[in-house]
Amino acid sequence: MKRRDVLSLAGAAGAAALLPAPAISQGAAARTLRFVPQANLANFDPIWGTQFVVRNASMLVWDTLYGIDNTFTPRRQMVESEEVSDDGLTWTFRLRSGLRWHDGEPVLARDCVASLERWMVRDGMGQMIRALRQELTAIDDRTFRLRLSAPYPKLLLALGKNNTPIAFMMPERIARTDPFQQITEYIGSGPMRFNRSEWVPGARATFSRFEQYVPRDEPPNWLSGGKRMLVDRVEWVIQPDAATAAAALQSGEVDWWETPLNDLIPVLRRNRSIRIDIADPLGNVGCLRFNHLHPPFNDVRARQAVAWVVNQADFMRAVVGNDDSLWRPMYSYFTPETPNYTEAGAEILKNPRDPATARRLLQEAGYSGQPVTMLVAQDLAPLSAMGQVANALLRSIGMNVDFVATDWGTVGARRASREPRERGGWNIIFTWFAGADCTNPASYLGLRAHGDQAWFGWPNDPAIEAGRDKWFAARNAAEERAACEEISRAAMISQPFTPTGFYRAYQAWRTNVSGIVPGPLPWFWGVSKT
Amino acid sequence: MWAYIVRRILATIPVMAVVALFVFSLLYIAPGDPAAVIAGDQASPEDVERIRASLGLDRPYLVRFGEWVWRILHGDLGTSIFTNLPVATMIAQRIEPTLSLMTVTILFAVSVAVPLGVVAAWKQGTIIDRLVMAFAVLGFSVPVFVVGYLLAYSFALELDWLPVQGYTPFSHGFWPWLENLILPALALGTVYIALIARITRASMLEVLNQDYIRTARAKGAGQGSILFLHALKNAAVPIATVVGIGIALLIGGAVVTESVFAIPGLGRLTVDAILRRDYPVIQGVVLLFSFVYVLVNLAIDLLYTLFDPRIRY
Repeated sequence: MKRRDVLSLAGAAGAAALLPAPAISQGAAARTLRFVPQANLANFDPIWGTQFVVRNASMLVWDTLYGIDNTFTPRRQMVESEEVSDDGLTWTFRLRSGLRWHDGEPVLARDCVASLERWMVRDGMGQMIRALRQELTAIDDRTFRLRLSAPYPKLLLALGKNNTPIAFMMPERIARTDPFQQITEYIGSGPMRFNRSEWVPGARATFSRFEQYVPRDEPPNWLSGGKRMLVDRVEWVIQPDAATAAAALQSGEVDWWETPLNDLIPVLRRNRSIRIDIADPLGNVGCLRFNHLHPPFNDVRARQAVAWVVNQADFMRAVVGNDDSLWRPMYSYFTPETPNYTEAGAEILKNPRDPATARRLLQEAGYSGQPVTMLVAQDLAPLSAMGQVANALLRSIGMNVDFVATDWGTVGARRASREPRERGGWNIIFTWFAGADCTNPASYLGLRAHGDQAWFGWPNDPAIEAGRDKWFAARNAAEERAACEEISRAAMISQPFTPTGFYRAYQAWRTNVSGIVPGPLPWFWGVSKT
Repeated sequence: MWAYIVRRILATIPVMAVVALFVFSLLYIAPGDPAAVIAGDQASPEDVERIRASLGLDRPYLVRFGEWVWRILHGDLGTSIFTNLPVATMIAQRIEPTLSLMTVTILFAVSVAVPLGVVAAWKQGTIIDRLVMAFAVLGFSVPVFVVGYLLAYSFALELDWLPVQGYTPFSHGFWPWLENLILPALALGTVYIALIARITRASMLEVLNQDYIRTARAKGAGQGSILFLHALKNAAVPIATVVGIGIALLIGGAVVTESVFAIPGLGRLTVDAILRRDYPVIQGVVLLFSFVYVLVNLAIDLLYTLFDPRIRY
């Protein structure tokens, strides 16, 4: 080879290096949906990790036996039919034919049994079923049976609910993993495969269409119906910065943004290629949570004092800004505009705000200026906003607030402490509950009031628990509503937490994307892109 | 010389040991509990304890530290608590974007800042000098994220010349790789241009007043030759020092830049890990960063011998 040949080869190689890789064709681009999720997909086990973002991604990969529709009615999904004995104790489920795992193996009844066993350990409703379970066994490849010691009318709701952790079905070998350990294989039977080799936690996760998925014939409706994927590939693009995500949406680098920042909505609205709509009509419920174990909030009068001065408008404007269409007062513990919404006993939240009554109640409770430790996560905007408002509010009625500005990681750990505030405990924390979780008592953590077993703050109110038991035993909507009214009246007195209002958030997508349906989580089936 | 290099490399071992001890101890006493984050809201205290035990977080400090050191000595950085991926794999996934960003930024900053500083020194007291110094003050004062947003708005959104965010690996082609890095490197490079230009100017001013420069002029050497051959080489030691410091500081600057431009690099990995209390990842990344720090310092020390033959180790 001559020197000139070497040089020309080197030149050609250099020129080739400067060229871009082959561009993705327009057709292929249209078959790829690029989605900016609410948070980083840091792990991918929907039973081990209960974050919403894990649930939402899991919905693509794993299927469920049942799925709720937009009336909260559980519909058959993987199940073809079910039979229940007259006494309500024995349930026999038959799977649809043709269901396959992503590795090509058929879905068997024993896979579902193992999946339910793992889920029951971690889920609240699952734990109730587990306590009643006499037998859970596969009868043949497509049939399994559950025998209970007492009827559990909400069984199908438990199997089809959207609250995390969802009862996802996995192959038996994976489902046998300890529920407190992460799975290491991501094989489901849902409409998309997870591309594990492309997963970069904190940056991106991708999913490819599962060709052997057999959707149901019914039209899709939330978690139920035919989950038909109209794109070949879904790419989750993690965006840590909201302004960058907004710019990426405007420039067409991403197609759909799950949680745009309210401050950026006017900018996005000005772009004709972008559509904005409410993401989840069920919204979120703001929560000011008391620690019921220690003074002053171990006295119901101190909790009522705070409730008497909470002005939800102040809280909600701090959370969502000046867009009043995004929030509404919520004189209730149940999600507005849903069947169980009730304002029974809610005068403490509805009546004109009454600082004088609040001060009197505090005095009666024996409060005399002791510090009240308020843990406020500054890295989550809604919590930071609620903390600022509450700080001013409590000071206005003479409370001595110890405002601890910290991050969510610290709040997450410290809220578990049952010690008094001077030994690392706390008096008030803030959070929000997904409105979908507050439509009924089934998975409503904040409304449990069974003392030591209850969610952080550990309220103890047998009247609330009695109402909850009635809801689980209810056999029709009227009985359910009556139970919720009973719970509401009890909770308005004992204030397990004080609702700070109901708010919604927007989602945004480019106009070349269609089929997006609002709901408590992003549904990818039925979404297409041109 | 070689003995010096070997000595310096050996000296990194106690430095790394101290860093390891500090990192581990700080994380041990820091508030926050990954088990509580993992367990989620429905977990009972027993569930949280069970997860803590499965992660080995319930064991005494010395046992955990000993195990960690033992693993490190065997080249095992551990496994992420959250992703269940080996820390080494996570670092490997993220190292290319960060190295690319740092390389392009430093090349860009040095190639712009050094000539600016030289010209400012040459034209000391003129409008050019003042403009360069005004830019330096501005570059120091404006936060990286502000520059980043302005650049993204102008060149990506308005002009549509460059992408807003993301990273394309070098294996996908030179231009796709570079086009994702131009705006981040400009944003991140601004502060380093300011820093290096100021140091270059100050160092050059000192050298330009030396006798040998006057001699060079007397011999009839051209202006370019005086500035870039005679003066710059002799002014290079402080410049090399500040470039070295700049490389070390880039590690911190990359955290913000990677977030603003959604580059999946080590900076974001670190922040995500800290927010989640993913101890093995934090420990692995900080160890890596401290190792890079030590190596950069060594490289700069060795560079001194190139610029100034009087320096001997």
